[in-house]
Amino acid sequence: MASKALEDLIVIEFAEMVSGPMCGKMFADMGAEVIKIEPPGAGDEMRAHPPFPGDIPHPEKSGAFLYLNTSKKSITLDPATPSGAEVFRKLVAHADVLIENHSPGYLDSIGLGFNALKAINPRLILTSITPFGQTGPYRDWKGTDLVEFAMSLTGYNTPTMVDDPERENPLRAPGHQAEMMGATAAAASSMFAVFHREATGVGQWIDAPCWQAIATTSKIEMAAYTYVRLPFSRLRGNVAVGLEPMACKDGYVYTLWAAEPHWVALKKLLHNPPAMESEVFDKLAGRQANDDVLRPMIRDELKKYELDYLVTEGQRLGLTIGPVFTVAQAAEHPHLRARNAFVAIDHPIAGRLEYPRSLVQMTATPPTSTRAPMLGEHNAEILGRLGYSLEEQEGMRAAGLI
Amino acid sequence: MSRLPLEGIRVADFSWIINGPAIAQWLATMGAEVIKIESQVYVDIGRINPSGMADHIAGPNRNGYYHALNYGKKAITLNLACERGRALADDIIRKSDLVIECFPMPAAKKLGITYDRVCAVKPDIVMVSVSLLGKTGLEPASWVGWGPMACCFVGMFDAQGYPGGPPRQTGGTWPDYAIANAVTFHVLAALRHRARTGEGQWIDASMGETVIGQMPEWYMDYAMNHRNRGARGNRDDKMAPHNTYPCAGDDKWIAIAVGSDRAWDALCGTMGNPAWTREAKFADQYSRWHNSDELDAHLARWTRSYEHIALAKKLQSVGVAAGPVLDSVEIHDDPHLWEWGFFRKINHREVGERILPNMPVRMSNVPQLNYSMPPDLGQHNREVFGGLLGLSDTEIASLMEQKVIY
Repeated sequence: MASKALEDLIVIEFAEMVSGPMCGKMFADMGAEVIKIEPPGAGDEMRAHPPFPGDIPHPEKSGAFLYLNTSKKSITLDPATPSGAEVFRKLVAHADVLIENHSPGYLDSIGLGFNALKAINPRLILTSITPFGQTGPYRDWKGTDLVEFAMSLTGYNTPTMVDDPERENPLRAPGHQAEMMGATAAAASSMFAVFHREATGVGQWIDAPCWQAIATTSKIEMAAYTYVRLPFSRLRGNVAVGLEPMACKDGYVYTLWAAEPHWVALKKLLHNPPAMESEVFDKLAGRQANDDVLRPMIRDELKKYELDYLVTEGQRLGLTIGPVFTVAQAAEHPHLRARNAFVAIDHPIAGRLEYPRSLVQMTATPPTSTRAPMLGEHNAEILGRLGYSLEEQEGMRAAGLI
Repeated sequence: MSRLPLEGIRVADFSWIINGPAIAQWLATMGAEVIKIESQVYVDIGRINPSGMADHIAGPNRNGYYHALNYGKKAITLNLACERGRALADDIIRKSDLVIECFPMPAAKKLGITYDRVCAVKPDIVMVSVSLLGKTGLEPASWVGWGPMACCFVGMFDAQGYPGGPPRQTGGTWPDYAIANAVTFHVLAALRHRARTGEGQWIDASMGETVIGQMPEWYMDYAMNHRNRGARGNRDDKMAPHNTYPCAGDDKWIAIAVGSDRAWDALCGTMGNPAWTREAKFADQYSRWHNSDELDAHLARWTRSYEHIALAKKLQSVGVAAGPVLDSVEIHDDPHLWEWGFFRKINHREVGERILPNMPVRMSNVPQLNYSMPPDLGQHNREVFGGLLGLSDTEIASLMEQKVIY
């Protein structure tokens, strides 16, 4: 039986949708006890988001919710009410980490800001995930994944290699990648704070904004601006050595022809078409300068071959080349199956489904997921632990507090 | 300087280019002693990539790509292609808590940086291997490739395009940075487990699997409905308008996301409540979502006459989620990022004044991270080989002569 690296940590998650819950999931799958606080009534808003089996909405069947909340406990609580705040304070008193993704200033406005919580528990690590951060001119801006991603420079450059900037408007990445980057940066920082606390005995407040986290994915593109003094361009001319999905006979492949060995291998893979043998293309500079001629030539050649041949033989020849799969193809791929990249999890209402297993694989303390909780499933357990009698719990339920 | 979280942790970092260095950068800025093991035999591509070379003047210490990803670290040069070089690497591993590598499998075997061998040298080591698709499994485990190819494999680029169009590519050298965050969290858990139990372990990190774990909507849809969700452009599951719209000027855009009637009313008010906004097909959230192509066309005609940054401010002032699509000039001028502390000016010995992005978090009790200058090639040879390994100046000189320290 593999052990759990973080089983001694208690994490309170007062968060909805993607960023806070993803951060909480990372702790929960590593063994921390993660107590998720959901609004009484409908619960985490993500419960209403697709996908659903057969596209029929159900609060216990949202695929995104089920994935983002594995291994957690759920209680329903409104900390904005006086008795809800009392329960919240009791929870925080014994917690190691509190993850929240409310607007800056919200916790303060209900009397539960960092200073108030620090007075209850000086060892508390408060991890606040927001669109733009706790200070600065955009602190109170409304953020969504689209907005954060669009502003990040990675957003300017997605999709890459644009031919017609009028028609090809900037896209966000599939899903919620700005929120995901904010979540994983917040999780890493929370662990740094755990190390810091082990040395110093005190907790701290972490300001983890999603925009800054996603902007980090354009670090080197940013460097080009002050080092080369060239604005980074999203237009195709900037690259001109491949590096994009290209159609073959039965799908798409991804490759490049920058370095000499790549070029030689690519020509060999395509059985040395005479037109590609022109000495104009021998050097990288020539290939880039004549991209308008060369690229269509390579595209035509690639279309003559099947994906399996191009990838297997290309890799054998030392060419950096790979397949462009759909999610459906990837989900069934024998390599991912051989690595157990997916794990089947039973859920009393949603049933047995295959979930992505973990962000990384570990030998001694692997991340391990158990099913997501149903709304308020652990109310009695947690409130009981905090010392509320069954009568008191019934009273809270009747008042709509839990 | 206040105490940094990882003081006392030493990292032997054999990685290069982006993903491994980005992991090591988290650890270095948070106080770990990161020894980056480089070599003139295989120079980190970050040091030589022409697109980052300061003022186009070649030199290993002049590259913005390297500088952006390697501040806070120590750098040594060690030739792992020779036996003596590998023996010295083992000596560094023996004194380290963590090893990071991102070699393709054949190279890792040749250089002796596999978990089996590293573990034999230092049984309680925590080792991170970052790769395209994992280092176990079938044939793809030995493929050569980098970040975008992992996205290709797991369907991210198929899901990146315009609806009905071909697969497109996400910008920003995706997913090297995604795996860096994910690995950093799990490495810290592994180091904590080791501190408590004495047990080390291997973290086998596949960029492909990290991306899968960040696309639950697609993978859970497949699991539930055996459906390939495919490319959706900027379309959201609930919000509309939800897209990027053209603004005044050349290739200028604004992102607008409306998720409530209140935000819709605010947007309409800002537009001066034109007649089309009162049509029944835009009356409620679902109707707007259902008719979003038509809605987008109306909105684009309005946004086109406005400057993108000014319009975003105007919409935000009435509570509408909006943001300008910033290019590299605009993002460097952004007042919020400077005030928050995302950028910092450096004055580097060889390249002078430049701007680098900092780490994307702030911690109240760690006000100053380790932002020491990106190291020159081999800058810390004497400190590491002399100080850490105890070699004499004569031995170091001789090893340099023999191109072992090289």
